[in-house]
Amino acid sequence: MVHSRREGSGTCSHRNSVRTPETAHAPLRTHSICMVSDFFYPNMGGVESHIYQLSQCLIERGHKVIIVTHAYRDRKGIRYLTNGLKVYYLPLQVMYNQSTATTLLHSLPLLRYIFVRERVSVVHSHSSFSAMAHDALFHAKTLGLHTVFTDHSLFGFADVSSVLTNKLLTVSLCDTNHIICVSYTSKENTVLRAALDPQIVSVIPNAVDPTDFTPDLQKEKTNKITIVVVSRLVYRKGVDLLGGIIHELCQKYPELHFLIGGEGPKRIILEEVRERYQLHDRVRLLGALEHHQVRDVLVEGEIFLNTSLTEAFCMAIVEAASCGLQVVTTRVGGIPEVLPDNFIILCEPSVRSLCTGLEKAIHQLRAGTLPNPETIHNTVKTFYTWRNVAERTERVYDRVSKETVLPMNERLERLVNHCGGVTGLIFALFVIISFLFLVFLRWTTPDYLIDVAVDASGPNAAWPQHNCRKKPRKKLTMKK
Amino acid sequence: MEGKEYTDIYGNKITLQQQSYNDTCQDFTITSSKMSLRSLTTWTCSVWIVAYAVFYYTQHSAVLTAAILFSIVGLLLYLHLVKVDHESLLILGSLGIQTTSTYASGRENTVFIEMCRVQDVVINEGISMHRVNYYLCLLLKDPRNPQAGVSQVIPIFQSSQPRLDCLTEIYRSCQEILSSQRSKATS
Amino acid sequence: MSPVLQAPESGHYTSMSLGGCAPADPVSDPPRWKKILYKRQPFPDNYVDKSFLEELRKNIYVRRYSYWAVVFESAMVIQQLCSVCSFSVVWWYMDQDLLSPQKLCGVGLAITLLGYLLFDAVDKGSGRKECGRTRWDDLKSSLVFIAFTYGFSPVLKTLTESISTDTIYAMSVLMLIGHLVFFDYGANAAVVSSTMSINMAIFASVCLASRLPRSLHAFTMVTFAIQIFALWPSLQRKLRAYTPGIYICVTFVFALFSVAGLLSISGVGALLFSILLISVAFLCPYCLIRLQLFKDNIHGPWDEAVIKEDLSRFYD
Repeated sequence: MVHSRREGSGTCSHRNSVRTPETAHAPLRTHSICMVSDFFYPNMGGVESHIYQLSQCLIERGHKVIIVTHAYRDRKGIRYLTNGLKVYYLPLQVMYNQSTATTLLHSLPLLRYIFVRERVSVVHSHSSFSAMAHDALFHAKTLGLHTVFTDHSLFGFADVSSVLTNKLLTVSLCDTNHIICVSYTSKENTVLRAALDPQIVSVIPNAVDPTDFTPDLQKEKTNKITIVVVSRLVYRKGVDLLGGIIHELCQKYPELHFLIGGEGPKRIILEEVRERYQLHDRVRLLGALEHHQVRDVLVEGEIFLNTSLTEAFCMAIVEAASCGLQVVTTRVGGIPEVLPDNFIILCEPSVRSLCTGLEKAIHQLRAGTLPNPETIHNTVKTFYTWRNVAERTERVYDRVSKETVLPMNERLERLVNHCGGVTGLIFALFVIISFLFLVFLRWTTPDYLIDVAVDASGPNAAWPQHNCRKKPRKKLTMKK
Repeated sequence: MEGKEYTDIYGNKITLQQQSYNDTCQDFTITSSKMSLRSLTTWTCSVWIVAYAVFYYTQHSAVLTAAILFSIVGLLLYLHLVKVDHESLLILGSLGIQTTSTYASGRENTVFIEMCRVQDVVINEGISMHRVNYYLCLLLKDPRNPQAGVSQVIPIFQSSQPRLDCLTEIYRSCQEILSSQRSKATS
Repeated sequence: MSPVLQAPESGHYTSMSLGGCAPADPVSDPPRWKKILYKRQPFPDNYVDKSFLEELRKNIYVRRYSYWAVVFESAMVIQQLCSVCSFSVVWWYMDQDLLSPQKLCGVGLAITLLGYLLFDAVDKGSGRKECGRTRWDDLKSSLVFIAFTYGFSPVLKTLTESISTDTIYAMSVLMLIGHLVFFDYGANAAVVSSTMSINMAIFASVCLASRLPRSLHAFTMVTFAIQIFALWPSLQRKLRAYTPGIYICVTFVFALFSVAGLLSISGVGALLFSILLISVAFLCPYCLIRLQLFKDNIHGPWDEAVIKEDLSRFYD
């Protein structure tokens, strides 16, 4: 364990020594980052696009990034995405909702092989729902690598499933080097769930690509007011509230139209409301939308409505604001932190309050006091950018690589003290078993027998990246 | 040509012999290490000890006979069907590519692929249950439908499984021949 | 005490600049941290403000229990335990031929009639008006029931002939325990299923009745089971709602009767049963109230919002 850690930091400092004089004041080290999650392309979603965008920006900054995920149907093996982003699709059994089955030990040989051959120095896991992410954290600590975890969602505390999940999260995060959350509310939630020291939790929000979400400047001004809703139609997204709002407002405002994109089990409620009050011409249900269709749907409206009952960050409202829409949303989770007051109207999660908020937005729209879509877009595009997220994440990696990985005895002590008697002992046992398993693996397949992989990104990339912005800091590329 | 020493992915020694007949004709032979006397005696002894233990409990002399037969037949089958002595890859620039596997008993298995079917020779990475390996493979195309892309992938040197350094040697030489072939074809 | 909650006190302006963060200007006011994500703030990403976890609330929806109220509620559990005990005692007497079925039938009928009159007298006829059943309906259903049971009693008697007695006893014990577990004590829990509990009780009575000497015994046993497991709890619910004082007295008398009945069979059994009753009635409420002190419910802005209004008015 100690040997590989020194090896990893040794290569970093070697790269450090090949600095140009003008960058001597900024400590620059490149990291070899492995992103692990069950959720990645071809699955589409918030976590997936977060991992992809963050990896691309880190590659642009000169780091080496690989992604490890599970195989999706036919997509098995190693694939390369843009800019040399290498993705490992591992043949592990998927159990439920794209999350793999885990025994905490069966993935050790493969993950250890990958970490050694790619000379990974930091393992960055995403999403508490992903079993592979927790497995990777567990094995990375056994191998002596630095670990970072990003949490994308909020959790409750009350029911049985939450209690168990929080306990597992405590075990997983008790010896992780650093944790990243996407909002301050999410940080408070994670700190309470896993009983963490708040100093090791950073808040780095998500971002949106502003070129994907631009307002439609050619749109004609008509009398019609369209309210757009784009979300999965499930209970958590407050579709029940939406049903009530449609009826109330369509009665009051004859020129109001609703445009609803997304699919889910609660679609039936909206169809019933539409049927009952004969609103077929004013309420359009578009069904499931592809990612590239979302912008075209958003620019058709003037107001974006979000009725979620719980949300850690809510990308949808930032995307809508980027398209120039006025946002009306429920005040839950991390939403109050996301946009300034002049771009967002916050309401309580009840039909009355949301109707009041929407009426306020409609009056403002009619009176012309709403900011112009282009102004909104130009302001919002400076708020959240992937490059900023990558820069802040890089700072986390820099901080983490200076820390030491807990040796075995301290790790066992931390588990038993921090996670409670019974759970701590069970997982301490797992740690010992996995360590012995690792010793066995190192005897059957020693590290020197593992071929070092050819880098596809990072300073030693075998194929030059034509799309990268050449910044003066990146003079570290060593010519072979 | 003299043989260069390399190791395979399990750490055993293999030898690469490269023979160049021509600019466009090369032959690569990878010789695996012979079956060691130590492993043979270990296997035979363990089979016989188990047989003797069974005999001790059941007092059937047929068990001992069966053990002897099993070890002899097993050894013969192993040498004939499993243990590969050397594998070779012969590239004839204008003609095609031939892969040969020679087993310990002398049996040979040969596959010949015409050059019009060969699209490229690449080093690829494959994931198995507990390891990720580099292997050399031939990419074949359908000559009647060349726009369809790769129709088949044939991995080579599957029994010797050399490491990346050995594979890059072979890969470079193959690429020289194939690229000269392609430039001849286009000119 | 979670170490986390000590953080707010220690969360002063920690200068952990890791490059790229402008330090505070000492001349003007130090910049205050705001809980917003859209502006770059001159604080590091892992800064812990004094207001960290300010909106955390603990135990705001916790119920405050009063000891005697909980003891009163436990009377329902006591009643069921005593019903099971009395039923077993009566069966034992019938099995030992110390109680004749005619006597049981007569006594049961008398008590049922008394209970029937009491049922109507307690709420002065309002419950009957509500559910709309007349006396004639009640008489019809009881006649139908008695006729069927009497007709099927020979079948019930021979139903379990091929099964060994030990299995019967084990099955009955299991079923009676199941009856106690699934009974509707008034709690709103997922495990409550009144149909399941009455079914299990009747099944237990059928099992036990089949071991009695004659079919008349089986008939009286099953009828007695219906009276004590179906009719008695509904009367008790009524009493509890309208006359709690009488309800408590009835519970007490019933408990004494069951213990006395069990005492005539086995002293040790009676002792254990009375210990059980006392612990359920007095010890368990005490434990419940003590354990409330350890409750640690956490509430905050991260909770999933609860839709407080009734949305069915939009969908009806």
